Amino acid sequence: MSNPILKVENLHVNFNTYAGTVKAIRDVSFDLNEGETLAIVGESGSGKSVTTKTLMGLNAKNASIPDNSRLLFKDKNLLALTEEEWQHVRGNEIAMIFQDPMTSLDPTMKIGHQIAEPLVKHRGISEKEALARALELMKGVGIPDAEEHINDYPHQWSGGMRQRAVIAIALAADPEILIADEPTTALDVTIQAQILNLMKKLQKESNSSIIFITHDLGVVAGMADRVAVMYAGKIVEYGTVDEIFFNPQHPYTWGLLNSMPTTDTEEGSLQAIPGTPPDLLEPPLGDAFAPRNVYALAIDSREEPPFFKVSDTHYAATWLLDERAPKVTPPKQILTRWAHWQELQGQEA
Amino acid sequence: MLKYILKRLILLIFTLFLVITATFFLMQIMPGTPFNNPKLTPEMIAQLNKAYGLDLPLWHQYLNYMINATHGDFGTSFQYQNQSVGMLIGQRLPISAQLGAQALVIGVIAGLFMGAISARNKNNKIDGTLGVVSTLGISVPSFILAIILLYLFGFKWPLFPVSGWGDSFSESVLPTIALAVGPAAIVTRFVRSEMIEALSSDYVQLARAKGLSEKEIVNKHAYRNSMIPVLTLIGPMAAGLLTGSTLIENIFSIPGIGQQFVSSIPTKDFPVIMGTTIVYALMLMVMILITDILTAIVDPRVRLQ
Ligand SMILES: Nc1ncnc2c1ncn2[C@@H]1O[C@H](COP(=O)(O)OP(=O)(O)O)[C@@H](O)[C@H]1O
Ligand SMILES: [Mg+2]
Repeated sequence: MSNPILKVENLHVNFNTYAGTVKAIRDVSFDLNEGETLAIVGESGSGKSVTTKTLMGLNAKNASIPDNSRLLFKDKNLLALTEEEWQHVRGNEIAMIFQDPMTSLDPTMKIGHQIAEPLVKHRGISEKEALARALELMKGVGIPDAEEHINDYPHQWSGGMRQRAVIAIALAADPEILIADEPTTALDVTIQAQILNLMKKLQKESNSSIIFITHDLGVVAGMADRVAVMYAGKIVEYGTVDEIFFNPQHPYTWGLLNSMPTTDTEEGSLQAIPGTPPDLLEPPLGDAFAPRNVYALAIDSREEPPFFKVSDTHYAATWLLDERAPKVTPPKQILTRWAHWQELQGQEA
Repeated sequence: MLKYILKRLILLIFTLFLVITATFFLMQIMPGTPFNNPKLTPEMIAQLNKAYGLDLPLWHQYLNYMINATHGDFGTSFQYQNQSVGMLIGQRLPISAQLGAQALVIGVIAGLFMGAISARNKNNKIDGTLGVVSTLGISVPSFILAIILLYLFGFKWPLFPVSGWGDSFSESVLPTIALAVGPAAIVTRFVRSEMIEALSSDYVQLARAKGLSEKEIVNKHAYRNSMIPVLTLIGPMAAGLLTGSTLIENIFSIPGIGQQFVSSIPTKDFPVIMGTTIVYALMLMVMILITDILTAIVDPRVRLQ
């Protein structure tokens, strides 16, 4: 395995609100290796966007992060940076692609200039040179007849084209880490596939690392090397794509996989996870997923499960993996996946 | 663009025609007659009525007025004999226009600054203070403000002249401030809310993610986006200044058209009332047209058609 370029250690993010403290991120740790794509998946409200904003130093004003949390980017703790130092990181070393291309471009500025902006800021080159580079970037992200469109305004472009422009902005200063927060959620399916392919192609060319946020496991398979599953401000399971898809251990991951349409899904077998995520003002004791978990054990409501090792690369935080736990039979579709996993293992051996 | 402006100008002329017609007939409803000086004998009044064509049937008077107006002849004032309305207004309009323009420019610029400061200090003391000040600025009528200013800076601390016009710039300071406070307050509140919205928008979030400083974000992204809606305010604010200036001109004895308008009403100086109304209507419509054109220039999403 290659070196981690980013290490997140014991990250906590709290939001002070009138109603109390929202514990949005509760002890999250993960590594991001050079050149890899890490997907973070989870239902809406699980803390994915807060994680990405924290990595950009762009959290809301009411956020507070305790001192023992660490974000190590090339061995420098980002959480200790001043605002000015952050500005050097943003768009330069870590860049971000936002969810909604319809609103993330400035409606009153020419697209070419918007792409040139990070270059002028971080490379210190002239506006003219930056615009020439912006043109290349536009071609690179597949904007047809880029020369004719460099002076267009966002409203003249479709959502898919705008998202390409947003990607060009993120890539402009050649960042080492690219964070994409649901970059295709606002796009329709065919455009989604084009944007995902573009991101994969660009990553191969630049060898940057990507953190890919999505609530849709369906787009993860073709994109990611590793997957972290998030629930109620915690990572509950992480592993390689194959491990998460074919050897999932956490009942929450089972639930996510079962609510994901696949090509060979039997009709009527799709199931949303029942219930709703807990209130992060008062996170429950024990396993936060327990109230929605049909496989919950008595201990789940008392004590939080630690991470159990499944393999060197695969960990899951569920008491079901404790040796004292009763053996449970997961849903049928998961058993099918496990069977496929056995085949894969057999082939490798 | 040119075609659009032409279309708007035709519409403008049509509207003006309606305004003239409505004013002409509404004026007749006003009680009293123009020539009511007790020294005048009935014969003299009849003679005057004849001289000004007031003995003709109403439709005939209207027709005459319209025909003359299309030739640029807006009649002669009853009050100031032998002075044509065109000349009277021509002397006074530049004064009112200067006063109004000074107030508008100062008001808008002050509002842009205070609004931005307020937005960037959202919900703290500075924002709170500016909020109170702008609420006062909106709710206190300009003539009350004028009287307060007169008292404070004309009498208590006599820093500025209390009346007159044209001898020195300092004469225009108090009336300009009295008129500018309203627009400044309106623009402050507007820019504040627009700026707060812009600063929490996705495109500003993206600008932050580019590594721009807060200052660069405000200057390059937030300001332009929050100023576009402010432009639409300028038309209505100009209208407010027009009506506001009638009182201000009287208080500060400024020989503008507002003062003339006010004095023409009790004397039933029909040609002056008509002429001033036309000027007011025209100025308002031209301001709105200019605003629309400016908006189209600044906002790439707006296409004039
Ligand atoms: N500024 C804030 N103040 C209070 N709560 C917040 C704030 N930002 C996010 N949250 C809360 O943090 C939790 C995680 O949100 P988010 O990261 O946006 O979820 P998602 O996984 O859908 O991206 C949610 O419960 C949300 O309400
Ligand atoms: Mg989100």
